[in-house]
Amino acid sequence: MGLLRYTAGRVVQAIPVLIGITVITFILANLAPGDPVRLMLQGQEVNQEVIARIERQYGLHRPLHERYLTYMSNVLQGDLGHSIHRDRPVTALLAQRAGPTLMLVLSAYAFALATAIPLGIIAATRRNEPTDHVSRIVALIGVSTPSFWIGIVLILIFAIQLGWLPSSGLVYPWRSPDQYGYSGYPELAYQTIRHLLLPMIALGTLQMATLMRVERTQMIESLQGEYVKLARAYGVPERTILRKHAFQVAQLPIITIIGLNLSTALGGAVLTEYVFNINGIGRLFLEAIQSLDYQLIMGITIVIGTMFVVGVIITDISYAYIDPRVTYGEHD
Amino acid sequence: MSSRSDPLLRVENLKTQFFTDAGTVRAVDGISFEVYEGEIVGLVGESGAGKSVASMSLLRLVDSPGQIVDGEITYKGETIFGLEEGPDGDLHEREDMLTNEEVRTRIRGNEIAVIFQDPMESLNPVFTVGSQLREFIELNRDLSSDEARREAVDMLREVGIPDPAERYEEYPHQFSGGMRQRVLIAMALACEPNLIIADEPTTALDVTVEGQIIDLVDDLQAKYGTSFIWVTHDMGVVAEICDRVNVMYLGEIVEQAPVDELFYDTKHPYTEALLNSMPRPDRTVAELDPIRGVMPEAINPPAGCRFHPRCPDAREACKRIHPENREVARADGQPHRAACIKHDVFGDEYEESVPLEERAQETAASATDGGESEGSGVESRSQSGSESGNTSKAGSQHGGDDRE
Repeated sequence: MGLLRYTAGRVVQAIPVLIGITVITFILANLAPGDPVRLMLQGQEVNQEVIARIERQYGLHRPLHERYLTYMSNVLQGDLGHSIHRDRPVTALLAQRAGPTLMLVLSAYAFALATAIPLGIIAATRRNEPTDHVSRIVALIGVSTPSFWIGIVLILIFAIQLGWLPSSGLVYPWRSPDQYGYSGYPELAYQTIRHLLLPMIALGTLQMATLMRVERTQMIESLQGEYVKLARAYGVPERTILRKHAFQVAQLPIITIIGLNLSTALGGAVLTEYVFNINGIGRLFLEAIQSLDYQLIMGITIVIGTMFVVGVIITDISYAYIDPRVTYGEHD
Repeated sequence: MSSRSDPLLRVENLKTQFFTDAGTVRAVDGISFEVYEGEIVGLVGESGAGKSVASMSLLRLVDSPGQIVDGEITYKGETIFGLEEGPDGDLHEREDMLTNEEVRTRIRGNEIAVIFQDPMESLNPVFTVGSQLREFIELNRDLSSDEARREAVDMLREVGIPDPAERYEEYPHQFSGGMRQRVLIAMALACEPNLIIADEPTTALDVTVEGQIIDLVDDLQAKYGTSFIWVTHDMGVVAEICDRVNVMYLGEIVEQAPVDELFYDTKHPYTEALLNSMPRPDRTVAELDPIRGVMPEAINPPAGCRFHPRCPDAREACKRIHPENREVARADGQPHRAACIKHDVFGDEYEESVPLEERAQETAASATDGGESEGSGVESRSQSGSESGNTSKAGSQHGGDDRE
């Protein structure tokens, strides 16, 4: 089947991208000022012999390209190295933190889509009416306001002033209610949502604003299409035209935007996790940078890079699946 | 065309206008015509003459800011559009006028279907050709989903698409332009309408494909007896396919005649000019004679006869008198109408006035003619002439011509 071959092709194309990501981060991490060995010793006075021994232990005495190749062969075996600072395997640290980040990013996207698509359609059908102007202003604010600022304002209003929602941490639905001292799963679900609400909105607003504008533009364009004129001329009800004929065509660019915005969403997650005190990959990343934990920085960069590349591949594939005009490369 | 009983469609004094920031665009300005059962009626004119707006008005599908403002459209005795004067003197929609919902369910598709100009854009790119056909058939005929599917495949075969069952499952981008136009024809016929509006259906196609499509429509029209309104700018296509022709210029019908009459006994200088600007097999000419100038915008139509700034026969009277479409001859018991005062039925005003020759004079004269009040009344003065400021704008229009 063409789609399968297309998918395989896209995965193969992603390999050079991933190699590029690792080379650049590896070089940057090693060129950065600060000596990891001295940092690990935390200012203790030791003689050169000790330093040399530690360097040998971690292979730091070998040339850069050799170290890179060793590192990559480990990565391919699923070993992202060892955090010197924390004295734990990087993969273990990442596994522990991946859940909260995924939960945050996915819920932010869900929030963005659930609000942006209906709002965009409403703005498109009421073009240049008050509703449209309001939505334009909301979108402008959403695009131009950083997620951490929105997060702080949300905390000030809903957590501190009103006291409706918690301001920090997440409740993980995959844990047992007993761990939190909740009465049962209904309370666990309720608390999960309560804790997730503010960070989700903080991170999702930018996506919502972008998607809403794209949805509006696409719907306006689609509604002016000849196929819509034709459908009207054949007596198709306006409702069906909106929901089916115009809508389907208008969704194609939305998918692209979602895939490409994954990078901003992951970047926003770093700050959102920091503001809301969530123990996700984003916060781990900040901490790793502050402590010059190179192995951890490398590991997280590779994981985030891979996530982004996978996101783009999924976008392309779903595009090919939804838009029949995209060929799988065999008709060309 | 045998029995001239009641027409299938009667359009009377239809006016459709667009209310834009720059002013009111009189896209369709008082046209009247009929379509009888089983005939192909042409609607011919240059781009911007108002042909497409006129044909979309018949389905009450005029996009905002456009609006049908006056006139009457009757189809099989039903009023698609009609106004009457209320007690307060304003025009109101008539009681018997179909509601939006009635037009949608009873007229669009099942009574009057359309074929659009651009087959590349008219089909929805994300649905299969078959599903689009089936949707329209289900909507406009009392058929189940399966029956509609069978009907769709049959219709694809009927319009000459090979392997219709396989093609049914394919997407529009997998069809060539000619094939897509066949799909649109299948779509129109499959809904079993009594009238099909074909809006420049062959303009976007290669000439060879155009010929095939015209032959196809000719055959199918003979077989199904469907009436057509054929909108085009191409006199060659008109000659090939139409029974009767309406020539439109700037929102008005300027000549109306059976097709042979129109070609061999042309009564309006605009039609004449259109014919001279295209190659004809029955005449050998050294070179083609294009119509001079460009069509003015319908936002400020020239006063008097709208064609006079471009008309080789124009005389001074043409600037004052806005002629209606009158019967100037009869052929085979059918009227031949033209809106040109050089014909006798319009009186002798034309004979008595001086030809407009020098364009410079024309410009100078048009600046003053707004003040003159020629009450001799061969014809009521132009509707637009009564609006203040219109004449001077018409004058500036001449100025525009001068620069060219």
